[in-house]
Amino acid sequence: MYRYDAVDRAVLADRAAEFRDQVRRRLSGELTEDQFKPLRLMNGLYLQLHAYMLRVAVPYGSLDPRQMRALADIARRFDRGYGHFTTRTNIQYNWIRLADAPDILDVLAAADLHAIQTSGNCIRNVTADPYAGAAADELEDPRVWCEAIRQWSSLHPEFSFLPRKFKIAVTASPHDRTAAKVHDIGLLLRRGRDGATGFEVIVGGGMGRTPYVGPTLKAFLPSDRLFSYLEAVLRVYNRHGRRDNIYKARIKILVAALGAEAFGREVEAEWEKIGSAGDLPGSEIARIRDAFTRPELADSPAPGDFEARRAAEPAFARFVRNNLRAHKLPGYAIVDVSLKGFGETPGDITADQMDVVADLAERFGLDEIRSTHEQNLVLPHIRLADVHTVWKALDAARLATPNINLISDIIACPGLDYCALANARAICVAQDIARRFEAPDRAEAIGELKIKISGCINACGHHHVGHIGILGVDKKGEEFYQLTLGGSGAEDATVGKMLGPALPIDRVTDAVEAIVDAYLLHRKDGERFLDTLRRTGDAPFREAVYADAH
Amino acid sequence: MKALTANRLSDGEVVFWKSGAWVERLADADVFAAEDTAATAETSARAQPTMAIDPYLIDLVETEGFWTPVSYRERIRALGPSNHERHGKQADGGDAVEALRHAHGAARSSGRVNLIRRK
Repeated sequence: MYRYDAVDRAVLADRAAEFRDQVRRRLSGELTEDQFKPLRLMNGLYLQLHAYMLRVAVPYGSLDPRQMRALADIARRFDRGYGHFTTRTNIQYNWIRLADAPDILDVLAAADLHAIQTSGNCIRNVTADPYAGAAADELEDPRVWCEAIRQWSSLHPEFSFLPRKFKIAVTASPHDRTAAKVHDIGLLLRRGRDGATGFEVIVGGGMGRTPYVGPTLKAFLPSDRLFSYLEAVLRVYNRHGRRDNIYKARIKILVAALGAEAFGREVEAEWEKIGSAGDLPGSEIARIRDAFTRPELADSPAPGDFEARRAAEPAFARFVRNNLRAHKLPGYAIVDVSLKGFGETPGDITADQMDVVADLAERFGLDEIRSTHEQNLVLPHIRLADVHTVWKALDAARLATPNINLISDIIACPGLDYCALANARAICVAQDIARRFEAPDRAEAIGELKIKISGCINACGHHHVGHIGILGVDKKGEEFYQLTLGGSGAEDATVGKMLGPALPIDRVTDAVEAIVDAYLLHRKDGERFLDTLRRTGDAPFREAVYADAH
Repeated sequence: MKALTANRLSDGEVVFWKSGAWVERLADADVFAAEDTAATAETSARAQPTMAIDPYLIDLVETEGFWTPVSYRERIRALGPSNHERHGKQADGGDAVEALRHAHGAARSSGRVNLIRRK
């Protein structure tokens, strides 16, 4: 974990005090709503359907137990005992009172957390590989770069009023767990021929109304030139991005309009002008690197009775099959904590559950917790010998659903149940599908299948990159749902294709089941859903869903 | 028929206009048959900017003896989120809540544009 210094803490304290005064002035009438709205949004405070919603940044998805307990404290004291992890790895509270917001910012600041740049047309929270620092397949821990980007971009005067919001992802593994190619900038850490590290830079990906898989602007950018290059990209975007039309203001539209080559030439020209003066000195990167605590991982700790318990307890074996990932060191595992219990709201977690996760991270997980863009949590450093104990504790807290990457591990945005922008609900659709596929043997037989649901075209539920994507639309005032197939947010990033006419809400789960049945009918040995779909095309699936319409 | 709604400034609670003040239950709200009385109420509400944010009028239909919003979005505002039945106004239960749950009507709320602007 990155350790805040006195400067970091002073910035947060100042910001909280500033917002306290702004709230006071709004409540007294000194500020109008038009004057106040941009100020509250800069502090992550939205007005949603039922109440204010506070979006708290979880920088690159990293939390320690103290911070998780602070989040639980906020849920208890200022909300209704729960929070909601989002597809930006942040946490949102749905029932906030305006007058409480400054006190909440104080609680956050005391735990080195904040809500800065969780809204507005600025550089938002950076997405990192949730297995960073633990993954067996990573080149190096990408969070040092994420933290450097956070510090560089926070309150950056040139980039605080961009044409539109701006999202960056960083990963250092060949398997992309960040959806980097559908971010405004995706940074894929690579090793050059000389052994030095650099980034493949992808610019202009995105979802929303006009989805794009971003093109590679630079195949290998030496890592010591990262910040001048980011500055060049953002400066070109700031200069040419469409400010006249909110639907065409993201960088993806600019890159597509100019073409990646022409956009790249503009960036190169700007980069040359900026020169190395725009780069962070090596000493600054070293300072940030040194400010990270290093988990004290043992050298090949004994696995204890891990294998014996796995052999003896089928439920534990199922958890191990689905919720454990390979750690870079023998004797450890990465444990995925599912926030997708059957009948629960995807991403929701109660204050008591937050405390359980904090306790487990403290006792068994070297103080590290991660949030994922798929709305789950991760304990990245668990000894194999402790996995059974951790599983029992998670199970007692209803956090051990063994469904990671399976059909019930569904991303869903808050949708029309909370969001002022939504056209249709997403949560209840996710709940209904998850219940239909609750039988664990059936879910495992289906295998990896990612369903992602958005309640409107803004695509906070990432439906474009769902293997099965579901988009809620307003059809003459009724909730209808458009299905897409074949999307992927991984290294083989693809935008899903629309399957056919939108369906009413009571036909969505049946349609998903028809798609699954068609997949099981057509799949060959070892194929995932995506493999079968790519081989057969979508005709068998369209036939399965719309057969009645003939 | 129409009602006037907004979100309360202090806590964001969904509120409805009644006799020059704001109440929390749609069942308690003033219902306007005439455009001019509705518009007058909206003007009065806008003159209280420290009480509620961006008031707007919504269309109503009669359901089981209660006035309920035509728009699905407004019914969710008047009830609470469908994934947490103990949250929001629906937690109180009663005939008015049941009527909202049973209501139909599909037109998009005239207030939607204002909602989006606020976000």
